Amino acid sequence: MYGWIWRHLPGNAWVRALISLVLVFAVVYVLFQYVFPWAEPLLPFNDVTVDGQ
Amino acid sequence: MAATTEDDEKQAQAETPAPAAPAPRRRARGPLATAVSVFGELLITAGIVLGLFVVYSLWWTNVVADREAHKQSEKVRDRWAGGPGSVDTRGGIGFLHVPAMGNGEILVKPGTDSKLLNDGVAGYYKKPVKSALPQDKKGNFALAAHRDGHGAKFHKIDKIKKGDAIVYESRDKWYVYKVYATLPSTSKYNVKVLDPIPKESGARKPGRYITLTTCTPVFTSTYRYVVWGKLERIEKVDHDRTPPAELQ
Repeated sequence: MYGWIWRHLPGNAWVRALISLVLVFAVVYVLFQYVFPWAEPLLPFNDVTVDGQ
Repeated sequence: MAATTEDDEKQAQAETPAPAAPAPRRRARGPLATAVSVFGELLITAGIVLGLFVVYSLWWTNVVADREAHKQSEKVRDRWAGGPGSVDTRGGIGFLHVPAMGNGEILVKPGTDSKLLNDGVAGYYKKPVKSALPQDKKGNFALAAHRDGHGAKFHKIDKIKKGDAIVYESRDKWYVYKVYATLPSTSKYNVKVLDPIPKESGARKPGRYITLTTCTPVFTSTYRYVVWGKLERIEKVDHDRTPPAELQ
């Protein structure tokens, strides 16, 4: 999978490494900004209130 | 694998020796090997994503929440800068100081929605029970805040012992409460801990109580941790906002 991505990136090894790094950061950004905030309330780690439900 | 290599070699012998033989051989992987390798990479990816989630919940949310709490606290302080005045509730009603937790002041805002608490503040209950406010003649001032992540304002709630002070600072008054009971673990459905007279704490008479709730054990929220205090005295805020003896 990652090998396939690597082979399909343009440029020489350095350019590919740079693009890979950018892609990794993009994925981490999307995770931190959108995916984790969405997932967090669905997981039972951080409910701090008492309620009747 | 061995069979493939042999086939390749036979082919290579049958035809003229190909100079680029190693390159196609590397790509010619069986479908099973490809599937296993993709599956393995997916597992590694899942592991990394879970690890990132831990980083997110225990570090990043704190960074974001502390920044936001600081900004909001600053705004309230700015509004209060004119000296003591009438009760002012916009953007936060006041600050909670718990020396036993040793993490400075915690902004108190109305409500306990996760959206509000995620800003690194403490909220007083509006539902399921409407909390009393410190200035009310009697009732229970019931608060909640995060134990981990999102500022983790009540992280050290287990350090609060009987007799410790909880000080609530409004624009014009210091309310000094004394802790008289703690409940290290209770059901999340136990709404009774927020009662105006919290019987579970041993209280029997109407009075001015404070209740702190958060989740326990740390890093999960299977149960709730509760700390009860009773109002001991009220001090007027002077022009320098000199804190009461408990905070010095």
